[in-house]
Amino acid sequence: MRVNRMLPLATTAMAIALAGIASAQDIAREDTVIFDLDRTIQDPENFNWMTDGTGIRRMHGAHQTMWEPLFILNYGTGNLDPWLATGFEANADSTEFTISLREGVTWSDGEAFNADDVVFSAEMALSNEELTAREVATLRAQVASVEKVDDLTVRFTLNAANPRFVVENFGVRIFGSFLVMPEHIWSQAENPATFTFNPPIGTGPYTFTSAASNRAIWDRNEDWWGAKTGFQDLPDPLRVVFLESGGEESRAQLIATNQMDAAQSVSVGTFEAIGFQNDAVMAWHSDYPFAAADPCARQMEINTTIAPWDSAEMRQAINLIIDRSQIVNIAVEGATTASQTMFVEYGSMTPFVDAVVEAGYGLSPSADAAAGQALIEAQGWTRNGDYYEKDGETLDVAIHVNSASVEYTRTIDVIVEQLQRAGIDARSVPVENSVFWGEVLPFGNYEMTYSWLSCGSVNEPWTSMGRYTVSDVVPVGERSPGFNNTARWDGPEAEAYSAIVDQMEGMPLGDPAIPGMVAEAYGHLSAGMPFIPLVQSAKLIPFNTTYWNGWPSNDNYYNHPFHWWNTTHQIIHNLSKAE
Amino acid sequence: MADQNAAAPETAAPDVSGLTKAQIKRMKRFDNPWRNPKLIWGVGLLLSIVALGILGRIFWDTEMVFTGSGLPRQAPVGIENMRGQMGSWAHPLGTDVTGKDILALLIVGAPNSLYVGVLASLIGMSIGIFLGFSAGFIGGRVDDVIRVGSDVMITIPPLLILVVFQAAYGDISLTIMAMLIACFVWQSPTRLIRAQVLSMRESGYVQMARLSGASTGHIMFREMLPNLVPYLFGSFIANVTTSIVTAVGLEVLGLGPQRVPTLGRVIYDAINSGALIQNLWWWWGIPTILLAVMFIGLLLINLGLDEVSNPRLRRL
Repeated sequence: MRVNRMLPLATTAMAIALAGIASAQDIAREDTVIFDLDRTIQDPENFNWMTDGTGIRRMHGAHQTMWEPLFILNYGTGNLDPWLATGFEANADSTEFTISLREGVTWSDGEAFNADDVVFSAEMALSNEELTAREVATLRAQVASVEKVDDLTVRFTLNAANPRFVVENFGVRIFGSFLVMPEHIWSQAENPATFTFNPPIGTGPYTFTSAASNRAIWDRNEDWWGAKTGFQDLPDPLRVVFLESGGEESRAQLIATNQMDAAQSVSVGTFEAIGFQNDAVMAWHSDYPFAAADPCARQMEINTTIAPWDSAEMRQAINLIIDRSQIVNIAVEGATTASQTMFVEYGSMTPFVDAVVEAGYGLSPSADAAAGQALIEAQGWTRNGDYYEKDGETLDVAIHVNSASVEYTRTIDVIVEQLQRAGIDARSVPVENSVFWGEVLPFGNYEMTYSWLSCGSVNEPWTSMGRYTVSDVVPVGERSPGFNNTARWDGPEAEAYSAIVDQMEGMPLGDPAIPGMVAEAYGHLSAGMPFIPLVQSAKLIPFNTTYWNGWPSNDNYYNHPFHWWNTTHQIIHNLSKAE
Repeated sequence: MADQNAAAPETAAPDVSGLTKAQIKRMKRFDNPWRNPKLIWGVGLLLSIVALGILGRIFWDTEMVFTGSGLPRQAPVGIENMRGQMGSWAHPLGTDVTGKDILALLIVGAPNSLYVGVLASLIGMSIGIFLGFSAGFIGGRVDDVIRVGSDVMITIPPLLILVVFQAAYGDISLTIMAMLIACFVWQSPTRLIRAQVLSMRESGYVQMARLSGASTGHIMFREMLPNLVPYLFGSFIANVTTSIVTAVGLEVLGLGPQRVPTLGRVIYDAINSGALIQNLWWWWGIPTILLAVMFIGLLLINLGLDEVSNPRLRRL
């Protein structure tokens, strides 16, 4: 419910939470780093991340402080930085991967972390359909078997060739990675799908202290394996807190008054206002547009099974009516750019974006409402007053939107106006974050919605394109595997697309044939239009340097600044006390 | 004494030389209870909001309530915003962060907020009048059922139920919102009217009507109801206030209609977009003032009506 977005409530909750932190144990503010959480911790007693589609059982600090990934993809260098693993080898056709684990890693209860844990966790994922987190579903879809070679070596055998296997599953490419769970605890669980893993343990430099619906507290483990083996020094902060700020206004106030060190994304105007009050607050760039490029470009998801949007022409009409530059200017205040394709426009993606644009499938930043209306009229709709009608029915559409951020609601407000002006009775239906990710999206309970489900590719095209193949189509009411093809796009066009994309799947990265295949597949995608790419995403994340230095930025690019990701281990290790 | 009594108040002007100012004022109070300054001010304030809605629609482009109608974050005329841009007559009260014109939002939004309150209260009062009369006049089982029903309903906090309902159903229209609120404002009129009817039932004229064979409906609505009019009117106005507070409460939480501007919705958008820290005071401040005007108007009407129906309150 959006009750918790209400400022007074949030502020009161915050005051109580902060008071709680102060009294829990005597750790000074200057030894504590406080991160912002953009959502409520629905079930603070449950640490089973494998059954959570929303990510909240990890992003409240668990996968930033307690659970470590095997590798971390470095957005700056493009390399996989080794973490719990030291490296991997693939066979010639990319169907077998052998991962070497780091020596000396221990769980916080003293047990050794080794190949048994990895094999156990992977086998649990393979044999349990009820474990529905995206990372679990992805691993389950790709892996045929997993075996222990020795205590520090694990071999994965895949169903099909996949040169991206390690980065995709264990490299924190987007948000999370497949997290290895301790065998000695999880093997005691009767059913992994109902196991709550409380109290949780991990290998990270922090251990769980307490959690409530609006905050989670993690304290430094002085006995961390990494410091003993010389992998990394103990991080400086004694305590890490994740606190739900409850909206743009309160997060701005908190960071401006030094009660928070890292906020969630804010709008350009709000960031400027924070700057007026507190010059210790910084962002990725020191000047306009301040924001860092997020790898998940925004799009309209369309449920292709619901009339009249089951017609590709109608979906194309919507695409023509949408004015992307207006979204950029109004909803995002100029902090981003219009998308040309489904892909994120990182330098590493240029060959594929260019191939699509050269083939004539690039998207226009401006609208051609007349062409869109012509398509609608060709489908037998006639305009009667404000709206189109056919057989006495008005052309309407309900657009579900996650109410967790003004970026989402504002973008949909802009699109609703554009569709209204073109004669479609569009309306936005705001829903709470967990309902959006838990009920609306995976089960296809929507006509259209705003999200970023083609997200995935950052240096190759397959990961994003592979999310819309026909093999992932399930009926409405059933859960889309790993949020793939929630559009339920099917039919000859989709099959032609899938054939090319499936062929691409096993090809080595950098194969010169790939851009051509991308363009060919994109022709089918463009004709079918199961979703409408909108704009690139930019995240303006304010960091406060009053207590802590070493935040990531364009000038200090050790990795990206998304502190709700599994990569945040690197940020916390880079922090140093401000003098 | 006899002379003074003979003179009608309108013609008594020459005779006041011997009276103090306070006494003259006191005399005038008898003129016409409806010419009550509180009542007049209250009605005036409410009418000004209605007038804003009507005149605004004639003289201003209300299409500007939609996203992207002008430059974002413009301050009111003659005032600079944080980026140093001067407010212009294109948007006399400024714009919000998505370029919606604040004046247009007020022109459409303020009467909408009033509309929800009046409609909800009308429905609630109608239910209340019907049930209150039935309970008080018919008595017996009917009375028991209605009394227990309204007593139970009065303990349920309306906002709680409405928040859950609207969160589940998302976008709803103003009229449906008013009807939902009406479900929670019929209890107190029911109880009050029941109490009045119980005492009135035994009065002479009702007994007389009964003896003359008038039907229950006739006695209830033709004989008794007119005597309750000032009372009902006061209750109605109090209910309008409650309904508006409830509606604004829902809107400020982001519930209620999404695309129809209301004052509560404007405030919700402002809070949600960081208007306080960005010092966009015109965005949340002006609608708040309008809401205050509306509530003060309703309060004055209520006080005025009390004085009209209860001469003792006129401090005579």
